[in-house]
Amino acid sequence: MAPAETRVHYQEDLEQLEASALGGLDLVTGALGRTMEAVEHQDVELAQLVIADDDRIDGRYLEVHQALITLLATQSPVATDLRLISALLHVLKNIERMGDQCVNVCKLLPLSGNEPPADEQMVKRILTMGGQAKTLISQAKRAFEGRDVELAHDLVRQDDVVDNLNRECFRLALEIGDDADKREWAMTMLLAARAIERIGDNAVDIGEQVAFVVTGLFREFEDASRPGEAPSQSPLT
Amino acid sequence: MAHDEERVGNTDPGRAAREAAAGRAAIAVRPGEFQHSAPGKREKVFELKGIDVLYSGVAAVKGISMDIRRNDVTALIGPSGCGKSTLLRCLNRMNDLIPSAEVKGELLYHGEDLYGPTVDPVQVRKLIGMVFQKPNPFPKSIYDNVAFGPRILGNKENLDQTVEQALRGAALWDEVKDRLEGNAFGLSGGQQQRLCIARCIAVEPDVILMDEPCSALDPISTGKIEDLMIELKQEFSIVIVTHNMQQAARVSDHTAFLMVELDADEDNRWGRLVEYDETEKIFTNPADKRTEDYVSGKVG
Repeated sequence: MAPAETRVHYQEDLEQLEASALGGLDLVTGALGRTMEAVEHQDVELAQLVIADDDRIDGRYLEVHQALITLLATQSPVATDLRLISALLHVLKNIERMGDQCVNVCKLLPLSGNEPPADEQMVKRILTMGGQAKTLISQAKRAFEGRDVELAHDLVRQDDVVDNLNRECFRLALEIGDDADKREWAMTMLLAARAIERIGDNAVDIGEQVAFVVTGLFREFEDASRPGEAPSQSPLT
Repeated sequence: MAHDEERVGNTDPGRAAREAAAGRAAIAVRPGEFQHSAPGKREKVFELKGIDVLYSGVAAVKGISMDIRRNDVTALIGPSGCGKSTLLRCLNRMNDLIPSAEVKGELLYHGEDLYGPTVDPVQVRKLIGMVFQKPNPFPKSIYDNVAFGPRILGNKENLDQTVEQALRGAALWDEVKDRLEGNAFGLSGGQQQRLCIARCIAVEPDVILMDEPCSALDPISTGKIEDLMIELKQEFSIVIVTHNMQQAARVSDHTAFLMVELDADEDNRWGRLVEYDETEKIFTNPADKRTEDYVSGKVG
C-alpha cells in the first residue's frame, strides 16, 4: 500500500522557490556576460546598464528570501526540507554578492577613460576569467538542481583556473612598465580581476551548500585559513 | 530527591517484611542510587531487547530494541496504530491490567527484569508514574489529589510540605496556593494536567511516562507543560508519546520513530521501530527515508 502524498501545496511552493532562487544564477550569468562585453569594448554605457540592472538580482534576493522565511514560519520544515531552505538562503546571498561583483567591475570602467592604455594580454586573461566564472556559475546551478555532490566538488578544480588567471594578471601588472597611465589602468584592472575571482569563490560556496543538502554535513571544500591543508589562492604569493 | 529506600523505611517500616513474607520483593532498584553523568554516558533506565506486545495472540508491536537514558526526555512518535502507547504502557506494566495482553522479550529497568516473577507491579507504578492524554484528577480537592499517593504509601508526615513541593515542581503552586481545598475540577484543562503531574511526582517517582499530555490543551498550557518537562528532566526521566512533531522536536533529547508494518496479505498490522536517535539528528538529517517522510509530514 503506497502511502498517500501529503502537503502537496507546500512541496510545490518549496520547489518553485528553489527554481526562483537558482534562476537568480541565470540573472548573474547574464550580468557577467554583459560585464565582460563592456570590459572588452570599454563600453561605459553597457556598464551603466549592468549597474542599473543589478536591482533585478537584488529584487530576486529579497523576494525569495522573504518567501523562504514565511515557509519557515508557517510550515515548520524539517530534515531535507530544512537543509534545503537553509542552503537556499546561503545561495541567495551568494547570488546577490556575485551581482555586486559585476557592479564593482562595471564601476571601474569609467575610471580608466575612453581609450585606456590597455594591455592586450591582461584584457585577454580577464575575459577568460569571466568566461570561466560563467562556467562555474552554470556548473553550480546544475550541481544544485541535480543534488550532484561530485559535480559540486569539481567546482574547486574549475575555480583553480580562475585563481591562476588572477595570479597571472597580478604578474602582468607588475611587469607593465613605468608609464603612469598604464600603471593606473593595470591597478584598476587588478581590482576587476579580483572581483571576478570572488565570483568563482561564491560559486564554490554554492557547491558546499549542495553537499550540505545531500549529506547533512557542512564543511568547506577549501580552507583558505589553513594553507597547509589547501593551496593558498592569494595572488600575492 | 530523598533516598527512596530511606523514605520507604521511614514511613512504612513493615512493608519490606510484609513483602518478604508474601514471597515477593519490591523492585530492588531505587532512584537515589544513581549518579548523574555526562549526557552521552548516562546510565540506562530501560533496556528493551526484542520486545513484542500481543493482544489475544495478535502482535501490536514487534521486535522493539532500544535503551532509554536517565534524565532524558525520550519521545515516541509515529502514525496512529503504530504501537507508541502500547509500548509506553509496557514500561510500567500498565498492560498487566489487560488480561489478553502479553509482553515477550526482555525489558530491563536499571538492569533488573521489569517483568520478573518477584517484581511488585504496584511498586513499579510508583517508581514509574504516568500522565494521560486527558487530565484525570480525582473528584477531590486540589490538596487531596496531590496527597493521595503519599497517603496511600503511608507517608503522612510533612504532608503539607510534600504537597507544596509537588505543586511547585509542577509549576502550579502560585496559581492554586490560595485555594488548595477547592475542587480540582474547578481548574482549567492545563491546570488540571499540571495537577496530574504534581500528583505523579508527589510519590517521588524515577520515571514519568506521558501519553500525549498536551493534545487536549491550548498552546499556552502546552507551552507551560513543555517548559515543565524540561525542568522535570533534571530530576526524573521522561518518556513521552506525542503526535505533535514540533513538540517532540522542542522537548525531547532522543526520538524513536515507529511505523505500521503490514504482512503480505495486509491482514495483520503491527508497530515496528524504524529509527531511534538524537532528536536533533531525527529532525535535521534522519538516516531512514521513512522517518524523513513522516517528520516532514509528506506521508499520511
